[in-house]
Amino acid sequence: MRDVAIVSFSQLRGDPEGGVPEVLMLVPVVLEAIEKSGVPRKQIGFTCSGSCDYLTGAPFAFVQNLAATGAWPPISESHLEMDGAWALQEAWVRLQHGDIDTALVFASGRPSNSDLREVLCLQLDPYYLMPLWPDYISLAALQAQALLARTGHTEKDLAEIVVRARRAALSNPNAEISGEFTASELLQAPYVSSPLRAHDCPPISDGAAAMVLVAGDRARDLCERPAWIRGIDHRIDAQYPGVRDLSVSPSARLAGEHAGVGRGPVEVAELAAAFSHEELILREALGLGDEVLVNPSGGALCSNPMVATGLIRIGEAFRQIHEQGRERVLAHASSGPCLQQNLVCVLEAD
Amino acid sequence: MAGSEPVSFMQQMVSLEYKLRASPVAVDFARRLCAGTITGHACPECGLVYTPPSGFCSICVVPTNTREHEVEIADRGTVTAFTIVNPIQYRGQKEREVYAVASILLDGASGTIGQQRLGDVDLDRVRMGMRVEAVWLPEEKRKDSAAMGAGLASAIHHWRPVDEPDTPLEEFAEHII
Repeated sequence: MRDVAIVSFSQLRGDPEGGVPEVLMLVPVVLEAIEKSGVPRKQIGFTCSGSCDYLTGAPFAFVQNLAATGAWPPISESHLEMDGAWALQEAWVRLQHGDIDTALVFASGRPSNSDLREVLCLQLDPYYLMPLWPDYISLAALQAQALLARTGHTEKDLAEIVVRARRAALSNPNAEISGEFTASELLQAPYVSSPLRAHDCPPISDGAAAMVLVAGDRARDLCERPAWIRGIDHRIDAQYPGVRDLSVSPSARLAGEHAGVGRGPVEVAELAAAFSHEELILREALGLGDEVLVNPSGGALCSNPMVATGLIRIGEAFRQIHEQGRERVLAHASSGPCLQQNLVCVLEAD
Repeated sequence: MAGSEPVSFMQQMVSLEYKLRASPVAVDFARRLCAGTITGHACPECGLVYTPPSGFCSICVVPTNTREHEVEIADRGTVTAFTIVNPIQYRGQKEREVYAVASILLDGASGTIGQQRLGDVDLDRVRMGMRVEAVWLPEEKRKDSAAMGAGLASAIHHWRPVDEPDTPLEEFAEHII
């Protein structure tokens, strides 16, 4: 495999109010990622983006987002109706062809336009499940219930995850929720959908992120300490939640195995665990022990710009190597109901 | 297949509601439009003038804003392309008569505005290069829906020919598609 590294990352702080057009959310992050990379904008070989037209509320909404790249003269690009982490994987595959050395990846989401409890129903099986309109929080609660029943974990364990995430988020300027809390004070809140309380669920905000990938030695020339993508894989569980054992994530396990997570020690894991219980499922599936620092950014529980969240996890993992001097870091992204689809990416320093 | 059950159908009505918030740039544009002025933003780098403005130059990727980069555009321009619409009378169709819509290159703008209704003109006289001007709605009937992307029709009823020589093709050739 051709060695490909992340050399720059930029993210827009999640905006719970919304109102900024998607393309204007993207302009500053795309410009910043390109500027930090040192690659002239016109020399970028491939551009790949992730967004969701159902969130924007218009067909082909993603085409307008391309204007943020200054796509004239025409550029080579592709788009996914997925989290930007999947766009990163497509860009990584494109760089394997060997004819270009640089790629821009960006993602944006604007859930403030709509009611996610309705819109996310449309990603479900259209014949048997979607007509019931099961909202995504209720589905997550079913998964949480299955996990607690199988493992003996308690709602207090879930609250402890939130306590740790919010404390970690104190040092993340992009986090929307942070602070010192105790599990017992969190547990006094009412259920949103049993066993989940509001703190177990992610904040919903508009957001955007962008990064630049560079292949081979050029990455070392451009970046002090690039983060090399040494393994990346994504897997999908069955579409219908009713045929799955929701308390485990075989797709995350397989993605982790194929990305080579176990080939060396992992110092930090940035997991797209939007709900507190998802962290427990993912830790188990990826074989992450207590020695692994999970979500030092606060994770998706503290900032969750839909469709950019996974790419931001990879960006946070890049920061761990580029700024914090780590050697081997894992990033994870998820899509679909109840962790249906999982992408795992292993980043390493030189 | 013999012996199999007939295919059955289910009907599923899906309705999603979206609340769009207008961007400040679009709000400014709509406010000026309701007051009778078409505005655009000029890119500080390449000088291209965008109307309606989007808040940045999509070629240079440079942000623009109303305070520094707003320019006034004429309510007069050149038809660069047009089509004659024969409205099919499907259920819900509101149009009854044949009419023309055009792309118009406004004087002072760098790109055309599309889907503009022509009026006060014989349809067989409509042509590329024809000079037209705005027929504004009375002030009380103008709406600020341009802030939500409704376009110039929220304040301009139609465009009519003006008694000027046609613009030569070479002056708008790059705008005909």
